[in-house]
Amino acid sequence: MSPAAPIRPPVIELRGVSKHYRLGESDVAALKGIDLAVAAGAFVAIKGPSGSGKSTLLNICGLLDSLDGGSLLLDGEEMAARDETARTLIRRRRIGFIFQSYNLVPVMSVRDNVDYPLLLADLPLAERRRRVDATLEQVGLAGLADRLPDQLSGGQRQRVAIARALVKSPTLVIADEPTANLDTATATQVVDLMRQLGASHGATFLIATHDDRMTAHCDQVRTMTDGVLQ
Amino acid sequence: MNALLMAWKNVRRNRRRSLVTILIATVGCTAVLVASGFALYTYEMLREGAAREVGHITLASKSYFERDEETPLQYGLPDYRELTAKLTQDKRVRRVLPRVALSGLVSNGDKSVIFLGTGADIEAEAAERGPFLQLKEGSLTRATPGGPASILLGTDLARSLGAHPGAGLTLLATTTAGGINAVDVVVAGIVSTGWAELDKRLIYTDVETAQHLLVSDRVSSLAVYLDSTDLAPTVLAELAPADPAHAYKPWWEQAAYYHSVRGLYNRIFGLLGLIIAVLVFFSVSNTLAMAVVERTREIGTLRALGALPGEIVAQFVREGALIGIVGAVAGTLIAGLVVLALPYVGLQMPPPPGRSEGYPLLVNASLPLYLFTSIAMVALCAAAAWIVSRKAAQKPIVEALGHV
Repeated sequence: MSPAAPIRPPVIELRGVSKHYRLGESDVAALKGIDLAVAAGAFVAIKGPSGSGKSTLLNICGLLDSLDGGSLLLDGEEMAARDETARTLIRRRRIGFIFQSYNLVPVMSVRDNVDYPLLLADLPLAERRRRVDATLEQVGLAGLADRLPDQLSGGQRQRVAIARALVKSPTLVIADEPTANLDTATATQVVDLMRQLGASHGATFLIATHDDRMTAHCDQVRTMTDGVLQ
Repeated sequence: MNALLMAWKNVRRNRRRSLVTILIATVGCTAVLVASGFALYTYEMLREGAAREVGHITLASKSYFERDEETPLQYGLPDYRELTAKLTQDKRVRRVLPRVALSGLVSNGDKSVIFLGTGADIEAEAAERGPFLQLKEGSLTRATPGGPASILLGTDLARSLGAHPGAGLTLLATTTAGGINAVDVVVAGIVSTGWAELDKRLIYTDVETAQHLLVSDRVSSLAVYLDSTDLAPTVLAELAPADPAHAYKPWWEQAAYYHSVRGLYNRIFGLLGLIIAVLVFFSVSNTLAMAVVERTREIGTLRALGALPGEIVAQFVREGALIGIVGAVAGTLIAGLVVLALPYVGLQMPPPPGRSEGYPLLVNASLPLYLFTSIAMVALCAAAAWIVSRKAAQKPIVEALGHV
């Protein structure tokens, strides 16, 4: 009899999460009682059409937005009642972000973009340099460290964004359509890189996508329709 | 990346816009420094002029400053020679000059005109006060040494009497005892004070002639000249309590013109500075407001990565302060060049109201003024950045990230 696989506690857990928006005079329910638990190290995709609520779900999981009902646990800690400053400080240390449009700071070099989360975390300079160099090496951009974002291709920029998300070894990485702007070959490379670096940094990925090239590489794919998670 | 380096890179993002803003800050800083420097020069000129005119400290009898004299020299100083000798023992006292104030009629035989005169040692006065009288004709000294008493006539008074150097005139005045006395004098020179109204009545003569005319051995006051105008408060604080029998009045209590001009200039240049500050503030606000709007998405990204609103605002404040620093440095350099260049250009200001002579347009440089203006410029730009970036930094992150 083989030993039972260790039960990994969820990094993030949503219980009955709801979110409403005011749209003119009407009230729109973006999330309707979402329950979701993502285990540590998992690579989970949230799939669904535009307007289904997947970005809203990711914003709440990434502590970028507040929830109207239910509870949100990150590493077992309740987040729903935390104020903006507390959420910011948690994001600073424990959550990485990868955006569809890369969102790199144009006046910062590749190195400085990757270094920024460590600078916010107030790490010593030597430690920051070590981590930035190692992460840039992992994403294959060590030779382009001094370039500015506009001197890079789309795939290279997304690799910088991945490096920036993972350099602080976060417990959770939120990726919103990370391959939407990339061609197939580059998208495949980016997904592979995310998986590989996620494993080496011990990060859990929660990805919003409607890209099948992306979902094919995920441990779990959940579908979102009209604010309800299937 | 160093936060200031990042701020500088952000300032350079839109070079033309930043350059215009820096230019406005530079022009504003230069304008404030040059205008304030001109005011400082004017204050200094008036201050020295006022102090030279009446003396750093005026010594007289107590009643002289408190009451009107019914007859000339009624409250004069009989012991002025002893007082002069005592005062000149103080090493800070450069010279003590006796003065006699007199008035009466001056006549050429055909015509008599009212005069306001001073009996003083003209050469010593000129040595202390500089060229306070412009010699138009003749000489400042006695026409014939050892000859008859001489006077200096104001230009307009001389014109009224048709008098020229060498002409004989008669001075008529009420004596200290209340009688009438007359003295024949010779015109040594025709002079101008620069004040048109004064030149219509002006007479200068020596102390002895004035005393002879008033039949008195007193003088009205003693003008005490010190090594430096800055010494006046200290010396006054020592002299006055030591001699309660006399009144000691500093120059600033007798310099109404200085105080009125200073008050006027303070208001004018204060208003000018305020207008410049408002212009710079709105210009920097406008530049940074545009930058904030353009960078809303970036602000959202940085907030998502864990930057607190205060850290975002601090970044924009650094950018505003950098614009202010560059503007202040450039403005200071240009103002410095103006200060250095003006003496060689030789520009003249027109005569102030009531005066007949202009004065050179010069600008003083003052370290406290330069420091204050530069710090104010940087603070102004930083404040503008703080105001425009606060709202953007507080914007919901999701909204900022979705900004197009």
